[in-house]
Amino acid sequence: MMIQVKLIANYREQLPPEAINGVVELDVPDGTTVYQAISRFDIPLDDTSVIVLNGLTVDMSTPLSVGDMVTAFSAIAGG
Amino acid sequence: MYGWHLKVLRVNLTTQKITQEDVDPKIARDYLGGRGWAIHYLYKEMDPMADALSPENVLIFATGPLTATPAPTGNRYMVVTKSPLTGALAHSNSGGEFPTWMKRTGFDMFIFEGKSSKPVYLFVNEDQIELRSAVHLWGKDAHETTDILKAETSAEARVACIGQAGENLALMAAIMNDKHRAAARSGVGAVMGSKNLKAVVAMGNKNPPLHDPEGMRTLSVNTSKEVGADVKKGSNMRIYGTSYVPQVTNTLGILPTRNFLQGTFEHVNNIDGDALKNQYLIRHTPCYRCPLSCGRLTEVPDGPYKGKGEGPEYETISSLGTGCGVSNLAALVKANYLCNEYGMDTITTGMTIAAAMEMYEKGYISEEIIGMPLKFGDHDAMIAMIKLMAFREGFGEDLAQGSYRLAEKYGHPEIAVTTRKQEFPGYDPRGSQGMGLLYATSNKGASHMEGDVAYEEVFGVPVKENPLTTEGKPELVKHFEDSFALMDSSGLCVFVAIRYAFNKDRMILPLRLAEMMNLSTGAQYSPEEVMIAAERVYNLERMFLIKAGSTEDTLPYRMLHEPLPDGPAKGKVVELDKMLPEFYALRGWDEKGVPTKQKLMELGLPLN
Ligand code: SF4
Repeated sequence: MMIQVKLIANYREQLPPEAINGVVELDVPDGTTVYQAISRFDIPLDDTSVIVLNGLTVDMSTPLSVGDMVTAFSAIAGG
Repeated sequence: MYGWHLKVLRVNLTTQKITQEDVDPKIARDYLGGRGWAIHYLYKEMDPMADALSPENVLIFATGPLTATPAPTGNRYMVVTKSPLTGALAHSNSGGEFPTWMKRTGFDMFIFEGKSSKPVYLFVNEDQIELRSAVHLWGKDAHETTDILKAETSAEARVACIGQAGENLALMAAIMNDKHRAAARSGVGAVMGSKNLKAVVAMGNKNPPLHDPEGMRTLSVNTSKEVGADVKKGSNMRIYGTSYVPQVTNTLGILPTRNFLQGTFEHVNNIDGDALKNQYLIRHTPCYRCPLSCGRLTEVPDGPYKGKGEGPEYETISSLGTGCGVSNLAALVKANYLCNEYGMDTITTGMTIAAAMEMYEKGYISEEIIGMPLKFGDHDAMIAMIKLMAFREGFGEDLAQGSYRLAEKYGHPEIAVTTRKQEFPGYDPRGSQGMGLLYATSNKGASHMEGDVAYEEVFGVPVKENPLTTEGKPELVKHFEDSFALMDSSGLCVFVAIRYAFNKDRMILPLRLAEMMNLSTGAQYSPEEVMIAAERVYNLERMFLIKAGSTEDTLPYRMLHEPLPDGPAKGKVVELDKMLPEFYALRGWDEKGVPTKQKLMELGLPLN
């Protein structure tokens, strides 16, 4: 099934060249979790990253549905 | 005592009399410095009911015990006064270089009273202290003023000043320092203008003596190295400054868009950090002694928006940009430059124009009154409004009063997204509930810098909190408010000091910050004591607010009754009722939000 991964700011360096505005489309097996999807990219998977599903705070073991977007960015005080 | 000079410079602008005073060491310790000292003096010295633009208002510039020390980011000062925008307390923070230079004059604090009969500026070079005519500077913008003053005093001097907005008493006027840095919020520049004080020029070599210079040096070097190591790994703040944030808040659906009618902006890619970096970034510009260096020099090289300056920061992108529905980056950068030159808070400026745009589109204000069409997304009209506002010309007279008074005047107060008449910053609280509680209770009106729980709800620092829930938020808000009072009193920048103020388990003891304060001052604070001192500061600020007559802790109509129509937080309003009683109980305040006698006694605060 097709899902999207969006990486923000410095994490964008980890995206393949076909990514547009930080977003890449991925074809993943049914049952793929948030964690499995984001593990494909070389970003820290500890608390130095914030990872959300469709903008919502979820457990990393949440299975994805078609069209979902997983977004990750580096945890740093800003704004 | 060390760290502090324990010296205040008092300038009576009415009599032109300048005096020097010592600070009681007990007061110094109990109120920390910076924001804490300032509220102690303000509370003691002025009637909180006084008109903010009258000579009775007192304007305080205050550095902290870590300002002008080797502590990384010890480059801040606070401007504290009564706000003409909110009628409540104003405390606005700024960095750059001026605050360090100010402390090197040998004074921790400058207090301005009264009103000069003619425009003046204050020049301080250690013992050479003079009020000088500023007649030749009146009408000049903040950049010209800075250049002229450096030319006529010394290239070694640093300048804080107002632009035309402050002279004209526009209620969003800022005090600019080092041209591009701003003590921005709550109209502090209008207070300066009302006193006919155009600028303050500071220089000197009196670094504060340190209690343990060697220990301070070691801890500072180590802290700098830690920050530096993170920067090397690739820090968003170094690469983008705060301009990376629109993508984050847009993802969470809390990016203020078209005056908070929406929480996502369809053109966010046009005005985000990557667009800015790729098109206009020249280089990074740190404040003094900052290993993070989040400032950015930018230039629009040609075209109608040609210009050069610093920024824009996130808060400018979310107000003059998405807030106004503007997606033209060059125009947005230009608008930011104009605000810096005229000396204006970009948040209140942008969100006031955004409110006017909504009122125009809904037919509440006509084209005749405005002088032109004012649709969301019209970047040229947005720029025109900034100019009118700074000079209070035509419709600018209405705009210069901020969005609350504007919306009220034209019969639609529900359009204004403010608390205590101050415009919201760049986090829609319907999708970040803790921010909702913060905006509602903030002693200075809506402000992220009162205790930025977005660090947890949005940025995951030190831990990620679900922004859509209310559980645990009262405690979080209290802790962030007190921690910000501590950081603002210390003289450090919150972007870096947050590392010293929090641990990963979010507890609660600011070990390293207390250690730095001790190495500087020798005050031998325990971490518990600095948190109690911060709570003391916060409660005294609350008392000022109550005496100023502005006590209701609530949110504007849109936040309580109009669910977000889009994005991940779709359907949400702020559930303030669920959080407020618990917050008051945690604070030791009564059900109206007034500190109880017991709380005041516990903190050693005056009972009346
Ligand atoms: S982090 Fe940014 S705002 Fe803070 S001191 Fe450094 S350059 Fe200045």
